[in-house]
Amino acid sequence: MAVLAFAVSRQLTQLHGIDILILALYFVIVLFIGFYVKGSTNTSEEFFLAGREMSAWIAGLSFLSANLGSLELMGWAGSAYQYGILAMHWYWIGAIPAMLFLGIVMMPFYYISKTHSVPGYLQLRYGEGARALSAGSFALMTILMSGVNMYAMAVVMQTVLGWNMTFSIWIGAATVAVYVMLGGLRSAIINEVLQFVLIWAGAALIPILGLIEAGGWTNLKAQIARNVGSNDYVHLWSTLGTFKGNPMGIHWTGIVFGLAAVLSFGYWTTDFLVVQRVLSANNLRAARLAPVIGAAFKLAVPLIVIVPGLLALAVLKNADGSTMHLVAGDVAKATGQHAYDEVLPLMLIRYCGPGLLGLGITALVAGFMSGMAGNVSAFSTVWTYDLYGAYINKRASDKHYVSMGRWSTIIGMLISIATAYIVAHANSIMDYVQALFSFFIAPLFGTVILGMLWKRATKEGGFWGLLTGTASSIAMFAYVQTGGKAALAHIALSQDAKPMAENMYRALWSWLICVGVTIAVSLATKAKPDAELEGLVYGATVIPDDGSRTLWQKPVFWAGVVTVVFVALNVVFF
Amino acid sequence: MAEGTGRGETLSIWFFVGVMTLLYGVVLVVYGAWAWFGDHEVPTVVFSQRFHPTFWWGMLLTLFGSFYTLRFRPRRGDELKA
Repeated sequence: MAVLAFAVSRQLTQLHGIDILILALYFVIVLFIGFYVKGSTNTSEEFFLAGREMSAWIAGLSFLSANLGSLELMGWAGSAYQYGILAMHWYWIGAIPAMLFLGIVMMPFYYISKTHSVPGYLQLRYGEGARALSAGSFALMTILMSGVNMYAMAVVMQTVLGWNMTFSIWIGAATVAVYVMLGGLRSAIINEVLQFVLIWAGAALIPILGLIEAGGWTNLKAQIARNVGSNDYVHLWSTLGTFKGNPMGIHWTGIVFGLAAVLSFGYWTTDFLVVQRVLSANNLRAARLAPVIGAAFKLAVPLIVIVPGLLALAVLKNADGSTMHLVAGDVAKATGQHAYDEVLPLMLIRYCGPGLLGLGITALVAGFMSGMAGNVSAFSTVWTYDLYGAYINKRASDKHYVSMGRWSTIIGMLISIATAYIVAHANSIMDYVQALFSFFIAPLFGTVILGMLWKRATKEGGFWGLLTGTASSIAMFAYVQTGGKAALAHIALSQDAKPMAENMYRALWSWLICVGVTIAVSLATKAKPDAELEGLVYGATVIPDDGSRTLWQKPVFWAGVVTVVFVALNVVFF
Repeated sequence: MAEGTGRGETLSIWFFVGVMTLLYGVVLVVYGAWAWFGDHEVPTVVFSQRFHPTFWWGMLLTLFGSFYTLRFRPRRGDELKA
């Protein structure tokens, strides 16, 4: 998860009338959609799972788009400027294998168990303890993340356009609250698909015009090498042999085992925010194909995120013609320079005049609002099904739960607004909120994957594994925060490791602890009989035919195609 | 057929995609043409100005949006099929 750090010091540009028209059109369209779909969100299945009637394409684009918020776009463009092409790992090896694994291996269990959420699956597999723990942590995490999105949008609008932060927070929050409250997940999904198209429409010109200006990829690499005095910024793997050999201070083991094997699998296969989109698919084949479609598009996303960051290393100039050097957010505040995370707006302003600038800004606003909507719709589902419906009011009518879903959307947005203001007054809280995400996700993956693939995993094993894994992650985070370089060397295996490397290794250790504890406790406790695991666990479940007849209809075939392209890209940029 | 917006509704999600991109395309083409042919282009956009990206990008969005709007426009009988 990228952290945005802006220097709120000056306004980068201003909108013309045509830009405001484009932005206003977006607000009109999303509000219209909210009112339009309200009529078909009367039952809880319709409100929380979009009636389970989305096609593979819609579910797949929404699955990808739920992750493609502006916080991600701007943060990773800044990381590409800071760390070079290594940032691409978060889009390729840090996403593609996990997305394909979700579609081909895990989706059948989520789908045929008819669960409405990931905590719901844990309840079916491990019982109430694991569900309560994961639902509580997830609800807290999503609502805080929604607030962080809101705050980040307000900062971007203030930095780029000089807008008042309170105005941005309330306009964004009110719009999202209206369309999610009215249309539930259905409304959120439609807007995510629109946002996906908007982001490409608004951002694709940056790499196109940038590569023309730089004289093509080969010339771009040469210019970067000249400007930064090193070739390390344009190689994906060849610099990862040592911690010191690359700008990120990470070793290949951190990328492969920490990022690819644990963190990305944790995020893409167990974070309900993204899994909820796939659960809305209209049949098993669509549910398996949706993550594969998402993975295919994910391969292309670095073009609009990483390439602009790399281009900035070569083409951004000061007014006097000298190379512009972006700096960390805290340095930028002190010196008045531009911060890393301003790279995307700076490149947008560089190439886009009135009209196109409005489209780019609209894409960023859409990304922020989609991030808030994704979090708040997932919060509303988990709150209503897994907390309110499970522990507070178990026997209410379906109509009552839909009503609770709408109210929890409003309450959730109000808590998010409060979070945004708290973050605004204590900026470092934003880092902690984003760290919060990493505490839960790696152990949760350990719990879910053992539950799906190992019949012997027990109720007690699942609960204690998840609890100790999460607690160990929090303890390691606190240890590194207070223990300095020595603590960092213990957790991340090197004193030269940067914060991102520390995240990777902490995820790996907490996952291993979760898996170890789950296995040990499970072996010491009584397993469930096979009959009770039907539809939940590999080996106790007959996977139904998904209806694929020809090779072209098989999700596994398309997963193979995506894998081939993924491997080829890694070889080309090795 | 209306795909994804819900039972009993006639507008496909792809229709919304088409309408949105068509609207943006038309706005950009009109503004881009006015700026290009009327010599009103903003001088700060130094490098990209000679490519007239507003006009051409608007044209691309118009074509994309027109295709999706027409291909997924609501038709009689969709309500029964959806």
